[in-house]
Amino acid sequence: MTLLPYAHALVARQDLPIPAWLFAWGASIVLIASFFALSVAWREPRFEDDRWRPYGARVSRALLGAPLQVLCGAIGVFLLGLTVYAGLKGTTAPDRNFAITFVFVTAWLGFPVLSVLLGDVFRPFNPWRAIGRAAGGVFRAAAGQEPRHLPYPERLGRWPAAAGLVAFVWLEIVYGPSGGIAVALSPDDAAVATLVYSVYTLAMMGLFGVERWCERGEVFSVYFGMFGSLGAFAAREGRFGMRKPLSAAGRWAVVPASAAVVIASLGTTVFDGAQEGGLEGPMESVGEWLVDVGLSQIAAARIADTAFILLCIGAIALVYELGVRGMASVRGAPPLNRLRSAFAHTLIPIALAYLVAHYFSLFVFQEQAQFTYLLSDPLGDGADLFGTAGSGIDFRLLSANTIWYVQVAALVVGHVTGLVLAHDRATALWGDYRQAARSQYWMLAVMVAFTCLGLYLLSVANS
Amino acid sequence: MDSKIGRVALGIVAVAAAVVLLVVLSSSDDDSGKGSDAGAGSAGAASKPAKPATPTIVVRGGKPVGGVKELDFEAGDTVRFAVRSDASEELHVHGYDIERELPAGRKVVVQFPADIEGIFEAELHPSDTQIAELRIEP
Repeated sequence: MTLLPYAHALVARQDLPIPAWLFAWGASIVLIASFFALSVAWREPRFEDDRWRPYGARVSRALLGAPLQVLCGAIGVFLLGLTVYAGLKGTTAPDRNFAITFVFVTAWLGFPVLSVLLGDVFRPFNPWRAIGRAAGGVFRAAAGQEPRHLPYPERLGRWPAAAGLVAFVWLEIVYGPSGGIAVALSPDDAAVATLVYSVYTLAMMGLFGVERWCERGEVFSVYFGMFGSLGAFAAREGRFGMRKPLSAAGRWAVVPASAAVVIASLGTTVFDGAQEGGLEGPMESVGEWLVDVGLSQIAAARIADTAFILLCIGAIALVYELGVRGMASVRGAPPLNRLRSAFAHTLIPIALAYLVAHYFSLFVFQEQAQFTYLLSDPLGDGADLFGTAGSGIDFRLLSANTIWYVQVAALVVGHVTGLVLAHDRATALWGDYRQAARSQYWMLAVMVAFTCLGLYLLSVANS
Repeated sequence: MDSKIGRVALGIVAVAAAVVLLVVLSSSDDDSGKGSDAGAGSAGAASKPAKPATPTIVVRGGKPVGGVKELDFEAGDTVRFAVRSDASEELHVHGYDIERELPAGRKVVVQFPADIEGIFEAELHPSDTQIAELRIEP
């Protein structure tokens, strides 16, 4: 592969829109699965129990003991340092710089999937948590007492994480590409943003305590932990163990504003999908209008994109709110506030499905770059550390059909999983089975709307 | 007991509705499919029928005349198009990573096997302008 000196966006191969026949099949399967779910519904909650089986003490010691935890933390801090260094000192071409692919593809898309499969793997690698814990240890040794923290305002819940999530995606897909003028977020901007976020995170950890901030405010811990709550593996009270898959999601969402995190995740992914198809026209007209009003091209594109990303999040929130209001009208319903948070976790599988549907091919292609030339030549300056700098991405690896089937399968599986969780929660909240089943017509409508929107976006993307 | 019958009935209705939806959607798909094929054939001078004229992209003042050209090919066929630029440039096709020198004023024919499916940009360096979008359908 020749070394191209020009800056490119990461996506050299874009997905073809799913063909109409597959869209029709996908939507049909979703409808059939939904009504089938209604007719076989169980009457006692199955995913509400807190049962958890720990593995032997030796497994826990090996996985959660100090040596491995310190090693993982050190790796995390090293990768954070490498990201900042490569961003500042490396090439300005986003596709040739380690920083961009590592942050926005390898970590951002890799950890959600890993978390579902293996548990909350980000936790030991979280560089800020590692630094915070090390600092706490130094403080303890020096002062001879526990560091004191402010009480975290409980009502704030996960709002900081939800806001941070939107800010992260905004940086990636609104600030970076800016209407086709720059091709992607520049590596040095990414490095500066990483430094700013590091200072902010360490300050908040100092104020409220490391673990508390990871639980509530640290964007990546909260976001990856959300997906981890779907999986079977988890550490609890210093021991590693297994639980029934999906059974922890409901408890994850108990913290206030957890719904905001899920909705932000869904809304931002919808925006990313829609800007390639569904919303392309309206966004361009708003951008042109802003240019006519007298703004520069870049400013106009950024403002238009910002308005539409907020619109997408608002639309998702509105649909969810309508579903909640609908459920509240069913006899025996808990108060609105409780309902709102009680069903937040049912959208996590759909958020994951959206993520897989939109980024699966990007991940498969870009990880080849991550482990070949970006590994050997992280700065893009011609180095060849491991002899893989000359290899590139094989775009033949995935056929269009493979990508389409993965996309549609992800949405269908996410939809069914969401329905299962929603039905289960309803049987727990409504003592009367009939009322519980009635309440679920509303959630069914919400999920059919989200899944069909996902399918629709895939069918008009890049068309 | 009768609630069970009710639920089974509901299920049957749902399947029927889904089948109807499927039929409606897939038949409309056929129509639109034919329509767009015909459109592509007349507008984009498709690659298949006995060596038609190679689509040519004219670049004037660093911009493609008539906007970014959409070129459709089928996987397994040959991608073939020509570029004529009034200034000396370099053509780069993403994904396939094909590069061609474009001497000023000369028509350069680009040809390679369409063996990767997807959507790819063809752009000019150093001006960084996209001149064509290649769509390779399976």
